[in-house]
Amino acid sequence: MLVVSNIDLTCDLPIMKPSTFLESTIKGFTLNINNDYRYLKTGYYVSLHAEILGNFVIPTSENMIDANRNPILLLRASKAGIPTMPYLVTDSVKKIVTEFSFPVVVFAVNPFVYDGFKIAKNKSALYKAMKSSGMNYKFTVCAQPLRGEMVSFKSVFGKCELEEKVRRISEEVYDLFGIPICKLHVQRVERRAYLCGLQPLKKEELSPSDLKMISEEIRLISKQGDPFSV
Amino acid sequence: MSKIACFVEKYNLSGVREEKGLQNFKFTAEKLGHEFDFLFREAISEIPKYDAVFIRATTDPLYTAYVVSKTAWELGLKVVDDPESIRICGNKIHLYALFKKYDVPHIPTIFLNKDELHHKRLLDIFDVFGKPVVVKAPYTSFSRYVEKVACETSFREVAKRFFRKSDVLAVQKFMPTAFDWRVGVLNNEVLYVCKYMIPKGRWKHGAKLRGKPTFIWGRTVTMKRENAPAELKEVALKACKVVGKGLYGVDVKEFNGNYVVVEVNDNPSIYAGYEDLRDKDLYGKIIEYLAN
Repeated sequence: MLVVSNIDLTCDLPIMKPSTFLESTIKGFTLNINNDYRYLKTGYYVSLHAEILGNFVIPTSENMIDANRNPILLLRASKAGIPTMPYLVTDSVKKIVTEFSFPVVVFAVNPFVYDGFKIAKNKSALYKAMKSSGMNYKFTVCAQPLRGEMVSFKSVFGKCELEEKVRRISEEVYDLFGIPICKLHVQRVERRAYLCGLQPLKKEELSPSDLKMISEEIRLISKQGDPFSV
Repeated sequence: MSKIACFVEKYNLSGVREEKGLQNFKFTAEKLGHEFDFLFREAISEIPKYDAVFIRATTDPLYTAYVVSKTAWELGLKVVDDPESIRICGNKIHLYALFKKYDVPHIPTIFLNKDELHHKRLLDIFDVFGKPVVVKAPYTSFSRYVEKVACETSFREVAKRFFRKSDVLAVQKFMPTAFDWRVGVLNNEVLYVCKYMIPKGRWKHGAKLRGKPTFIWGRTVTMKRENAPAELKEVALKACKVVGKGLYGVDVKEFNGNYVVVEVNDNPSIYAGYEDLRDKDLYGKIIEYLAN
């Protein structure tokens, strides 16, 4: 197993830097560890390079794009049975107001904004949220009704330290998209939880215990061996 | 009968030839007995009502068009451009890596990572390709984000600008020609062939006037597809095979008697009186592909 990482890890396995891997032609199961799996960033190119080489890679470049595009994340998640809220991709305040009652959660769907969401409790707040998340109405946003409370947390290989219903979503999102490190946004509504969004983490957000957990997960995966070896 | 949604943005209706081309699609579809509606971003939630989606707005994995394409694909609709084609053609690093892997003759290309923007690496590149070289951002389209540089200072200036968005860039050998061939391909079949002429004193089909925001475009000279050189069509089809079976516009340079692929574009321009001038049946072929 080949581990490519831009994060300094403590595990005793050999770890390759992304820039070294991008110059190489090494074959084999590739585990791409990065705090940022956005399209066009180094993490994306690592998985793309592995795929061009014919390597099985976690995560795939396709999953990186899809997980970071809010409506696609929700569409694929709901198809896979992960609880999600209804959503609307639009640049029209009128359309959102017609479909959902306040408050609503607004996620950006544009090439530049990735950090989090905005909650609008009334029409003027919605206009404001649409203006900033849609970059002056140039891009669409993804709106979802807010029926409970939002909770945001770090997910490392699908693991998190929250209650069972949220933990299950974290695991299922990892099973579906295979993004090893990310921040998830979930909505808690009474006894249920619904996936709302995913975003990359900043390196500084990873604590020493997160790094330990990542190293431990890598060690466990390496023990399982290459998923494509016979 | 199929229900076809054609995803467009407002800017697609600002040019007369582009709008006429879109109307030709609608007219042809309806003549063939299909329903053809223009779908704007306000109506994305209506995608499930259709059998097929035809995307005409600019595609990029970061634009709304990708959300439309992927949504249609996930719902099992026929879609042109499909999400895989957008992912490959929308990122020239992906495209050239596939060209290298499958031996598609293409412009000599080197990839440059963000960490490699240093004196020695740039000297090596100039040694290999000579001066000038072409620096290309992976998300280039309509001749934008492609610049010619002849010294280290301008190389660094352009690369730094492009590195703001992408961590890897393509650097290519400069191969000046009077025109680029454009071969329109659908499902491994040549649809139309034309020449995109390079404006006088420029080196690419679309160029910015010095000091002005406006673009000038070279002429489009169209020929009947059966009259185009066989080798050209062969190279174009080979390039498309590594991408998929959708609708593509392949840019090819004829240099010292050889055909080399510049790039494969998904969502190629189809303007009335330009690309369709000699092969009017392209509208029917695309509609039938979407409907079947």
